[in-house]
Amino acid sequence: MRFRLLGAMLALALPACGGRTTPSSGTSLDDVGHRIALTQPARRVVSLSPSTTELLFAIGAGPALVGRTRWCDYPPDAASVPSVGDGLDPNVELVVSRRPDLVVLYASAGNQSVIARLDALGIASASLKLDRLDDLPRATRLLGRLTGTSPRADSLAAWYQTRLDSARSARAAPVRRVALVVWDNPPIVIGAGSFLTEVVALAGARNVFDDVAQPSAPTGIETITARDPDMILLLGDSVPSLGRRPEWRSVRAVRERRVMPLKGSEFERPSFRVFDAIRSLRASLAAVAQR
Amino acid sequence: MKWLALALVAVTALVAAVMVGPAGYSALESLRALAGRADPATVAIVRDLRVPRALLAFLVGGSLAVAGAALQALVRNPLADPYLLGLSGGAGLGAVGAIALHLGGAWALPACAFLGALLAVALVYRLALVTGSILDARVLLLGGVVVGAFAASLMAAIMVVSPAAELRNALLWLLGGFGNASWQAVLVFGAYAVLPLAALYLASRPLDLLTLGEEPARYLGADVERVKRLVYVAASLLTAAAVAVSGIIGFVGLVVPHAIRLLWGHLHRSLLPAAFLLGGTLLVAADALARTVIAPVELPVGVVTSLVGVPVFVLLVRRWTR
Repeated sequence: MRFRLLGAMLALALPACGGRTTPSSGTSLDDVGHRIALTQPARRVVSLSPSTTELLFAIGAGPALVGRTRWCDYPPDAASVPSVGDGLDPNVELVVSRRPDLVVLYASAGNQSVIARLDALGIASASLKLDRLDDLPRATRLLGRLTGTSPRADSLAAWYQTRLDSARSARAAPVRRVALVVWDNPPIVIGAGSFLTEVVALAGARNVFDDVAQPSAPTGIETITARDPDMILLLGDSVPSLGRRPEWRSVRAVRERRVMPLKGSEFERPSFRVFDAIRSLRASLAAVAQR
Repeated sequence: MKWLALALVAVTALVAAVMVGPAGYSALESLRALAGRADPATVAIVRDLRVPRALLAFLVGGSLAVAGAALQALVRNPLADPYLLGLSGGAGLGAVGAIALHLGGAWALPACAFLGALLAVALVYRLALVTGSILDARVLLLGGVVVGAFAASLMAAIMVVSPAAELRNALLWLLGGFGNASWQAVLVFGAYAVLPLAALYLASRPLDLLTLGEEPARYLGADVERVKRLVYVAASLLTAAAVAVSGIIGFVGLVVPHAIRLLWGHLHRSLLPAAFLLGGTLLVAADALARTVIAPVELPVGVVTSLVGVPVFVLLVRRWTR
């Protein structure tokens, strides 16, 4: 709460000391503290992360999108936007050839040089950190301001915040314990840095690796066996069947065939679809528990 | 006396590796579980996960050290290591190929890595025979570097082109680790490694002669060409299998033979078995560190061997040049 208040005060103070901003969009800082040099709402936007592509469509800025990554698969309309390839370490020439007035990136250290090159070309960029459920409202409001869709973006953000708050307050003590496995060899699991840990918690379970700060980290089968999750949730689609590997048979959930794939892009990134993800996960957890 | 000490250190490392782990049992509890006197879950963790993992690490470490020692004698170059001859690039290409093609099945990735390594080995071998029927050690080295670089480029190209987001995990696998250790893996690798290890041991005497140079070795009665081919093929087969079960684990095959030469002398009859014991011991210790240092997160064991191996190597070189 204190942070939100501080943010509001900063937002009020900025135009006063900036002095050269237009009332339509205002000068804003992105999540890496870089000034977004945009004097009017963006008309041509390249989105270099699947989560921001989804967000831009959700706030009604889809028509302004002129470029996306090859990983942007939601909403289906995104397929009609030209792809510029990868979003991390993007091909800057391809991005610039879409003649964007705004490039939206995922906030990562690797994208620093991209931002510098876009700066040099006079193209505004906004780097957004979208890892946790709490990151979504701020990013939504910012993108709304940048693309001139503030009314819809602000009400969507408010709706999301209300639903998230009520989901959190309705949250009961976790009944089941799960491990979220991304890869089998070496075993890679999801940690507290990922929004999935909270999705699991809101669905009534606990991620047994919620003490791992990173979004994901390699671990050992011994650790998984010792933490003894009731269930294993598999992410991605090319993880081989764990039950066929002898070393995974040590894990009780694998022996008891309580392994469930998490299909669907709503489990790949934080989005407004998270409440669907929570609901379907809660149903699946109940179904597997009845086996 | 030296042998007794080395064997004792090896056994100590194996037992210690079984006693520690991220599950958080005390050393005593772990030993009790090893004897079967604990609840089934603890017994399963110790007997089915820790013991095979320690044994596999020992076998792989020993094999890499022996392969490294033999290859260093073969190409008469102290910088030779088991991966020098294009093997790591080939294995990486195989692993990435398996993931990019979505090959399912528990053994798809190791099998493809093994095939990729063998393919690289065969290519380098063919290159080294280019001057006729003589296996040229210099061409062998150059060919290894070139084929390795070629395979690495192909691997990078696949990673850029392929839509499989899982490929970054293949890189983590390549960094080395014993996450997939099981009794099955121990038995398969153990049964497989016996033959090349025995072949290299039986070549001890001609390897001694080879270190003098090919001409003197020939005068002293060694069938130089036959020995070179045998050693190259046996060491490569050994390393290819090691890569298949555990990824690319650096420095064991490079540093351990040098350490043994400094401590033990240059005769391969004792150098090879001693390298096997020390290599195994070191890798078991490195894996124990990898499992426990930042638990519950696990480090790739190749990272640990390099972090430990580089300072040791620097110390050795300093002592050497003094």
